[in-house]
Amino acid sequence: MLYKTISKANFKVFINEVIAGNVTIAPKMTDKDSEGNPVYQFQQVYAFDEIALNYTKTYSSLKNFFLPFKESLSTFQFDKNEWKQKIEYSIHPRVIVGVRACDINGLLKLDNVLMKGKYPSPYYVARRTNTFLIGLDHEPMADCFCQSLNSDEALHGFDLFLTDIGDKYFMQINSSKAFNLFKNVQINDIETEDEEKYIAEKKRIASLFKTRVAITGLSNLMDIEFESDVWKKWGDKCLSCGTCAMVCPTCYCFTVTESIDVSLKFALKEKVLYSCNLVDFAEVAGGHNFRPEPATRLKYRFYHQHRGFVESYDEPKCVGCNRCGIACPAGINPIDVIHDLRMEDVK
Amino acid sequence: MEYLGIELKKPKVSFFDFTCCEGCQLQIANKEDTLVDFLSLVEVVNFREISSEKKDHYEIAFIEGAISRQDEIERLEKIRKQAKLVVALGTCACYGGVNSLKKRFSVEDVVNEVYGHNPVETLPVKSVKEVVAVDFEIPGCPISKAEFESIILHLVLGTEFRFKKYPVCVECKQNLNHCLLDEGKICLGPITRAGCNAVCINGKLPCYGCRGPAEENNWPSLKQILTEKGFSPEQIDEKTSFFNSLTEVTKNES
Amino acid sequence: MSYEIPRENIAAEPFMAGPPDFNRKSRLMQTDKVYECMITNIVELTDMEKLFHLKIMDPGESRLFTFRPGQFLMLELPGFGEIPISISGSSAIRERIGLCIRKAGKVTNMLHKARIGTKVGVRGPFGTHFPLERMVGHNILLIAGGLGLAPLRAPIYWVNEHRSEYADVAIMYGTKRPKDILFDYQFDMWGKIYNYDIHLIVEEPDENWKGRVGLITELFNEVDIDPHRTYAIVCGPPVMFKFVCNHLNQVGIPMDRMFVTLERRMHCGMGKCCRCMVGSTFTCVDGPVMDYWTVMNLKEAI
Ligand SMILES: Cc1cc2nc3c(=O)[nH]c(=O)nc-3n(C[C@H](O)[C@H](O)[C@H](O)COP(=O)(O)OP(=O)(O)OC[C@H]3O[C@@H](n4cnc5c(N)ncnc54)[C@H](O)[C@@H]3O)c2cc1C
Ligand code: SF4
Ligand code: SF4
Ligand code: SF4
Ligand code: SF4
Ligand code: SF4
Ligand code: FES
Repeated sequence: MLYKTISKANFKVFINEVIAGNVTIAPKMTDKDSEGNPVYQFQQVYAFDEIALNYTKTYSSLKNFFLPFKESLSTFQFDKNEWKQKIEYSIHPRVIVGVRACDINGLLKLDNVLMKGKYPSPYYVARRTNTFLIGLDHEPMADCFCQSLNSDEALHGFDLFLTDIGDKYFMQINSSKAFNLFKNVQINDIETEDEEKYIAEKKRIASLFKTRVAITGLSNLMDIEFESDVWKKWGDKCLSCGTCAMVCPTCYCFTVTESIDVSLKFALKEKVLYSCNLVDFAEVAGGHNFRPEPATRLKYRFYHQHRGFVESYDEPKCVGCNRCGIACPAGINPIDVIHDLRMEDVK
Repeated sequence: MEYLGIELKKPKVSFFDFTCCEGCQLQIANKEDTLVDFLSLVEVVNFREISSEKKDHYEIAFIEGAISRQDEIERLEKIRKQAKLVVALGTCACYGGVNSLKKRFSVEDVVNEVYGHNPVETLPVKSVKEVVAVDFEIPGCPISKAEFESIILHLVLGTEFRFKKYPVCVECKQNLNHCLLDEGKICLGPITRAGCNAVCINGKLPCYGCRGPAEENNWPSLKQILTEKGFSPEQIDEKTSFFNSLTEVTKNES
Repeated sequence: MSYEIPRENIAAEPFMAGPPDFNRKSRLMQTDKVYECMITNIVELTDMEKLFHLKIMDPGESRLFTFRPGQFLMLELPGFGEIPISISGSSAIRERIGLCIRKAGKVTNMLHKARIGTKVGVRGPFGTHFPLERMVGHNILLIAGGLGLAPLRAPIYWVNEHRSEYADVAIMYGTKRPKDILFDYQFDMWGKIYNYDIHLIVEEPDENWKGRVGLITELFNEVDIDPHRTYAIVCGPPVMFKFVCNHLNQVGIPMDRMFVTLERRMHCGMGKCCRCMVGSTFTCVDGPVMDYWTVMNLKEAI
């Protein structure tokens, strides 16, 4: 890792250069909720000024740039008695600007599943390795609990990471790709003053977290409280709508569908991101459903986050962004559910 | 499917419209890029939108529209006798659709309102299945072209078609929409069967459930959510009964 | 009765360490590519089940494909879907992959329409297998209910091929009706040539049925079990293996010497789609073969 600073003016020049040469994705304001609060999403941008750099958090995570909601796994070309499978992984390089630490940590968790291990996913690897990530520190929202999950700081998994220290950014350069980009833009070595400001800013951010979720022992609690009434209580509210998993930065499960084109010349095998809250997640041929009730499915979502994933990768799957809690139409959020499970008073 | 040695039967199909806007037929005829391929799968003997030929030999009858007059009932019964397979096409045919709004007023009022001083004979609106046996239902207002083609393909290949079991919210979120419930609107996406790619919400209009209920539909919870958001029972009822497609789910509660 | 903690056979460890490497590192990017296969033979076993013989068309790929009894593969029927199917045949014969498939839904119905010569695809093999090398020198109880005989055929072939290494082998097989019995044409051979003790039972006999009637557990009255020398392999629906394993447990067979196979929805076989998860465990990676102790301690397993 290389530590430098860049003036805000130069950063703008730099980003405009990046935008000129690449597909660039960044947070933009897209809607307003009924209280008038802005809603942000990651979208393609065409100029620096379109970027909402001081955004809160995006409504949906950026996982869809790595795990598209719908993705072609292969096509089968039919020719009389023959068929041939075609697979393509190629992807154009792109840049994502303004990624929060929790989202980078979310990607690191996806890396564990989809890049490492026994069967890496070439589809994911192609997208991940062709994405240039520029991270950005920010003040947490009132409902962010990434600190409780150790996800408020990203140590790797990005190309650049910036922290606002007044009129410049403190910059961590984490790849030679990133370093090469600064050939035409001036960056500076760190001075003592920068370092002090950086440390002070980090401390300030860390002190701003208002929401805490106790994670210690949660994995075992998931087992011990498997029959708890808490699941029924929240399960009764759950609409089994899958919204939580769609917006979550780390939910990666999917379904596979195949469809023959009307021309009968080819078929498409597609992967569609799914959610364990959906009714037929665990349904098998003949109609048997291993998780028929909304409550068992809701429980399972928490079980995967805080037990299943921990068993495989020694850390929870959740990064504590509370996107699921914000988007859930039924107002189910992990903070309340976990507090409930721990039999603690909510707030 | 030649590689499986399955011979394609090219069924003779007919389209019939009853009380509706014929928008669903338009959906099919409009799909220019795939229309030719589609027409090679089936033999269309009656189709108002693209041909004027009229024949009585067909195996599959697609019924578009709701049934609201005595002569329509008789026509439908005749079609049922002729067809091997009767398919209800579109929300009107499957559930009564927008036409069912009529149900909320008395027949006389409707006749007066719509036809003024030239009254015609009309009956309370019925879905196709309330009149004759229906083999398959393709809901949607209008139907999804892609889904319709897929269903026909399944039919021709002799393999079963399955609707999505999950609700519209999944597709809504996959299109990166902000939830309209949080923008002060009533949206019935959470209890409505997906498959339309959430077109309405993509266009910032809430879902009124034209595709009928999803397999898991927690209406009591959604109703409570809407009530807590300050909507009155009347406001909620107005939306849930819009297409008459969700009554099966919402009636026992409201 | 004194209980001595059994010695683990470390020599069998590398064998246990994992399935043969489908994930050939050099071809890392090929995890979704299917091997193109030809259906070389179809045997109609019952109204509902057919046995398919598959041959991998590319000789190089065919050489790469090896499996252990108990593993499954993902069978691709282009345009219709991909489904997990246990390999039901000998792991020694490379020319022929046997799959016994019941008509159950979209893919399986279409597959039943396929003819000899039809091209299909496979990926795999995936999952865990029965630790047959650990069972060397022991008695083996092979217990199947219904379609459970399909996955059981792989270990049966294995034992046939290594018959002298195992002591007494018994097969217990139960079905609903006599006409549901699979592979009856092989029973004579298994009994006479390989000296298996074969016991059959049906729940609903017809007028020609002369054998036993009842649930599979009733067959235990006919078989002498030496709990200290016996391993059991049980394939069938969860209710069935639960009853059987509980009985075997009472007889005194340790739970980690009974092996069952689990069945869940699967879409990848590689621990990615999460559809097959039982509690915190992936059936496709940590299963489908599991010892009963593990299964008992899994949330949502039974
Ligand atoms: C490890 C394992 C081994 C199996 N071995 C055999 C075997 O040897 N013989 C046999 O006849 N059947 C076996 N099955 C069951 C077989 O996979 C299902 O019958 C088959 O998937 C049904 O597919 P379908 O498209 O015909 O049914 P549909 O009901 O149309 O299923 C739709 C899709 O759901 C998924 N699905 C449905 N049921 C199952 C299921 N039980 N398991 C996994 N995925 C499912 C598949 O992706 C399938 O394409 C096995 C299942 C597992 C998990
Ligand atoms: S928690 Fe549920 S929705 Fe999320 S990845 Fe796991 S199985 Fe999928
Ligand atoms: S808070 Fe919710 S959305 Fe965020 S990572 Fe955790 S489960 Fe996913
Ligand atoms: S928890 Fe909320 S978002 Fe998730 S499925 Fe249930 S209702 Fe939908
Ligand atoms: S309630 Fe409506 S707007 Fe909200 S997520 Fe569901 S479909 Fe989308
Ligand atoms: S969003 Fe709702 S109303 Fe609109 S087409 Fe889909 S199901 Fe029908
Ligand atoms: S089959 Fe996909 S995770 Fe097991």
